Amino acid sequence: MEPPNFFDLLGKDLLHAILDHLRDDPFAPKFFSQVCKSFHDLESTHRITLKPRRLDFLARAPQRYPSIIHLDLTLCPCVDDLALKALSLAWCSSLRSVDLSRSRLFSHVGLSALALNCTRLVELDLSNRPDLTDVAAKAVAEAVNLERLRLGRCKGITDLGIGCIAVRCGKLRHVGLRWCIRVTDYGAGLIAMKCKEIRSLDLSYMPITEKCLQQILQLEHLEDLILEHCLGIEDDGLATLQANCKSMKMLNLSKCRIGRVGIASLTNVAQNLEKLILSSSLVVTPVVAKCLQRFSRLQLVKLDGCLGTKSGLKAIGNSCTSLKELNLSKCVGVTDENLSFLVKTNKDLEKLDITCCRMITRESISSLTNSCLRITSLRMESCSLINREGFLFIGRCQLLEELDVTDTEIDDIGLCSISRCTKLSSLKLGICLTITDNGLKHIANSCSKLRHLDLYRSSRITDEGIVAIALGCPSLKVVNIAYNCNITDSSLAFLSKCQRLRTLEIRGCPHISPQGLSNIVAGCKHLEILDIKKCRKINDTGMVQLAQHSLNLKQIKLSYCSVTDVGLIALASISCLQYISIFHVEGLTSNGLVAFLLACQNLTKAKLHACFESLIPQQILKYMEARGCVLVWREKTSEASGYLPFGHFGPLAPASHMQEVNHM
Amino acid sequence: MDPKGGLCANNCRRSSSLTAPGNGLQTNLSSDPPSFYGIGIESHFNEFDPPSPPIQSVLPGQSDTDIEIPDQENCPLSDSSNTSKLQDWNPSAMLNNLSFLEEKIHQLRDLVHLIVNKKCQPIGQPHELVTQEQQLITADLTSIIVQLISTAGSLLPSVRHTLTNTNPLVSQIDQLHGINLPFGPEPSSGIRPQNNSANKLFDKSTQNDLPNTCEMEQNYNMEEHEPKDEEDVDEGENLPPGSYEILQLEKEEILAPHTHFCTICGKGFKRDANLRMHMRGHGDEYKTPAALAKPHKETGSEPKLIKRYSCPYSGCKRNKDHKKFQPLKTILCVKNHYKRTHCDKSYTCSRCNTKKFSVMADLKTHEKHCGKDKWLCSCGTTFSRKDKLFGHIALFQGHTPAIPLDDTKGVTELPDPQNREISNKVGSVNFCFGSKPSSENLVPNMMDMKGNIDDPMNYFSSLNFEGCNFGAFNEFPQTPFEDAEGSFSFLMSGSFKFGGGESSSGNLQ
Repeated sequence: MEPPNFFDLLGKDLLHAILDHLRDDPFAPKFFSQVCKSFHDLESTHRITLKPRRLDFLARAPQRYPSIIHLDLTLCPCVDDLALKALSLAWCSSLRSVDLSRSRLFSHVGLSALALNCTRLVELDLSNRPDLTDVAAKAVAEAVNLERLRLGRCKGITDLGIGCIAVRCGKLRHVGLRWCIRVTDYGAGLIAMKCKEIRSLDLSYMPITEKCLQQILQLEHLEDLILEHCLGIEDDGLATLQANCKSMKMLNLSKCRIGRVGIASLTNVAQNLEKLILSSSLVVTPVVAKCLQRFSRLQLVKLDGCLGTKSGLKAIGNSCTSLKELNLSKCVGVTDENLSFLVKTNKDLEKLDITCCRMITRESISSLTNSCLRITSLRMESCSLINREGFLFIGRCQLLEELDVTDTEIDDIGLCSISRCTKLSSLKLGICLTITDNGLKHIANSCSKLRHLDLYRSSRITDEGIVAIALGCPSLKVVNIAYNCNITDSSLAFLSKCQRLRTLEIRGCPHISPQGLSNIVAGCKHLEILDIKKCRKINDTGMVQLAQHSLNLKQIKLSYCSVTDVGLIALASISCLQYISIFHVEGLTSNGLVAFLLACQNLTKAKLHACFESLIPQQILKYMEARGCVLVWREKTSEASGYLPFGHFGPLAPASHMQEVNHM
Repeated sequence: MDPKGGLCANNCRRSSSLTAPGNGLQTNLSSDPPSFYGIGIESHFNEFDPPSPPIQSVLPGQSDTDIEIPDQENCPLSDSSNTSKLQDWNPSAMLNNLSFLEEKIHQLRDLVHLIVNKKCQPIGQPHELVTQEQQLITADLTSIIVQLISTAGSLLPSVRHTLTNTNPLVSQIDQLHGINLPFGPEPSSGIRPQNNSANKLFDKSTQNDLPNTCEMEQNYNMEEHEPKDEEDVDEGENLPPGSYEILQLEKEEILAPHTHFCTICGKGFKRDANLRMHMRGHGDEYKTPAALAKPHKETGSEPKLIKRYSCPYSGCKRNKDHKKFQPLKTILCVKNHYKRTHCDKSYTCSRCNTKKFSVMADLKTHEKHCGKDKWLCSCGTTFSRKDKLFGHIALFQGHTPAIPLDDTKGVTELPDPQNREISNKVGSVNFCFGSKPSSENLVPNMMDMKGNIDDPMNYFSSLNFEGCNFGAFNEFPQTPFEDAEGSFSFLMSGSFKFGGGESSSGNLQ
């Protein structure tokens, strides 16, 4: 007789609760469903979100998961009209949210099928489709229950299409039209006129003026308004605004050309503003600062990239006293005097960004750490005048979670002080040339919650420090140890204990071998982003290991590696792989490249050396294009050695590099 | 003493009272012409102590100047009250005025009789006395005319709208001047020299006044070409029946291309002024100012009835037999109305080959904009400007912009026929439409779309679209001033002004 299945005794509610807790790990539900048949069924019926890795899976998915509500198709660039039609019919009654922001092949036909079949659709993301036209917008407009719509970079959609959406989708609450550069005042104004429920509106980079603002500011529920780089909005226009948007909480005017008059007029329009973002937009003078006084509830001000007069920045300290977040990154005119005054009047400050404020010294840090004990985030990259004593004060901020001291004078004693911040979750120590393993050991001993560590070009770091970190900080998700030539396989062997690792950059670490890589990939199953550029020892063996273990890998950069066709073709079996960058891989032939491109079904972007362009048959190129894969050809000259003298890289290199990877 | 002499003395006294400083109008007319059009006037008006009593409340026994001048000149000082007062037509006050006028005319006649009798006597009178008498008569005549105008003026809507509102003072005076011009040469030959001087005065003033007249022409045009069809402008006129004369032109007259023919060569003209210009070519006798001047109709001293027109088409609302007859104001209105309403639309637009018009001016206006209507609404309405489309969409619930059809190429049928029912009418219309494999240009497609529509509602809305466009056309002055000029009796004062402007321009040539 078969033993009774004890799992059957568990209540359904309990199992559902367990399943709900398993959402963070993409594999957990899978394992759960493999326990037994009833678990399998339970998981199938309970699952409401689906992020298929390949389009092929989608065919059978509706049978297995009948009640999908959120469908994320960002890993399926090849979603076409047929697929959309099929899935819209299959989940017609349940589907409420679809993300198509990375899909390229569907047209207005599929969209109209989706809109008409899935009558409960409330969320749709169609970003990154500059080829979509007004016809597609018209199809979207049939989804009359839409509440969230994102059309970022849909450069083909004009006022007419937006007009259709505005008229038909009256329930819209969150609308993102960033980079819809053919939508003007008419479209934006019509949205405001027809969709009275709007909570947040993103009109960045659009050619709009104050004319549509007049209507937008009449919206009763508007909370967030993002007008980044709307150059049509100017002081004179703002001054004419006759509106009172009491509900508005966040206003983003980054990169707009505005000044005192505009700000003054906004104080009348949106008195209840809590967040004001003025990045790279105006000159901070005492008059401007005084205007800010009238926003009595202001909690966040971003003045990064602004030109500030010393007195103007000081005056902010007078007019704003309850700030929780302040960004003065690259703001010219920040001095010890005005920053000290600012932090003294804003004792509740939680986040401060003083990146590249090159005039401040330890005085500022001293006053900051004296008055703002609640600070959780401090970014002070390239504050080069702060001497090593300055960093000793940081340990006072026990609540600190995020610290960026890239490119500063911090040393091991500083790190020791910082190790008192036990809640630290993100620590950036790039280009800190004086820190050593000893400093890292302090961090490793006390900051067990560390998730993000950046040691880019902190060249005195060796395996010892990394090992300590790997053992002390098991929650690490993002590790950057690029260009540290002392790092060897043993660091990776220990880092593989960090099972949550998602991003690993070991670029320019010449001692790392395929063995080290295979350790990592065997341990860190969730690895998504890997940069092994200039790890010259890494060869096909590493690739085979990678292909075998890293099923979640999305991005890889393997220029200058010793990989051949074999290794590359092995990589093609990683079904999630979307982005690859291959330059100066000597063992690679055009045939191998073609085979890889054809085999790697979900690839959306490949950066390749221009010398291959002429070697690959036109049909293949066309096929790749039709499949939704972008091939970027670059003419790059090979660098004789991986070790460029430091200084060829700007201090911002690590940050921008990471961004590029993330926002591909 | 001779009773006649007593009468004379009495009249002399009255005349002296007329020329008293209080009588600004008279003084100006005779001695100080430039100030008549200038600021000088106002200083005189200020001398009228109580500006308030309107004409209606004034008793006929009072001095004539006291009656009309406050009405004429003080009302414009308070603009808004002016219009409202004028709009309130009071028949009893009108009766008072008329009887007063009658009495005054009698008086004047007696005076002239007196003079005639005196002339019969061989005794030569001092020259000054004769001049004084003439002045007296002129003054009285003038005041009668002014009284007449003010009485009639309370009835004339266009006086209210264009003249009084835009430039009250000047326009009132123009009114005076315009009236005076035809009356000038009218009185008996006995006072000719004096009258001539007065005439010159007016001629001069006419020339001076030319820009002003032009301005009023513009006003006139604006009123005439307001978005509403001009036929509708007089809807609110509410002329009491019998207060105007109804003329009805026959169909042939209306449609005749020319109404003025040269008696010598037979050439036809649309306008008499053009005919007169033409006549100059037939000999010097046609070049005299008298021949070129606009011929004046016999205008007796009794008030002239306003002319209104009736459409000859029986059953038409504009026909005088219709129960709710609404007269047409001018001959131009008659012509346009008749052509638009009762004639075939024989002028086809050469660009779209679709729109047809019965009035050439309408076609020309349309052709100016044909093909530019690229902004379409889902209801079928087209717009030449994007902001108009978006204004329309903002106004009407459920209307959406129609997506240009070039984009819909390759649209396939929807997966499920039921889906189409879900989508609303507008959507389905466009879908049907989009599924057509046509790649023709925009306008014919629009027409196709109309044809495709099954829903009668939509059909109607697409019909409306023509009406809309008519409205739009009327925004542009479709008939310039020349046409209106032909309508010689648009208004009493108005037509006189046109006449004045015309003759003066003729003089300038």
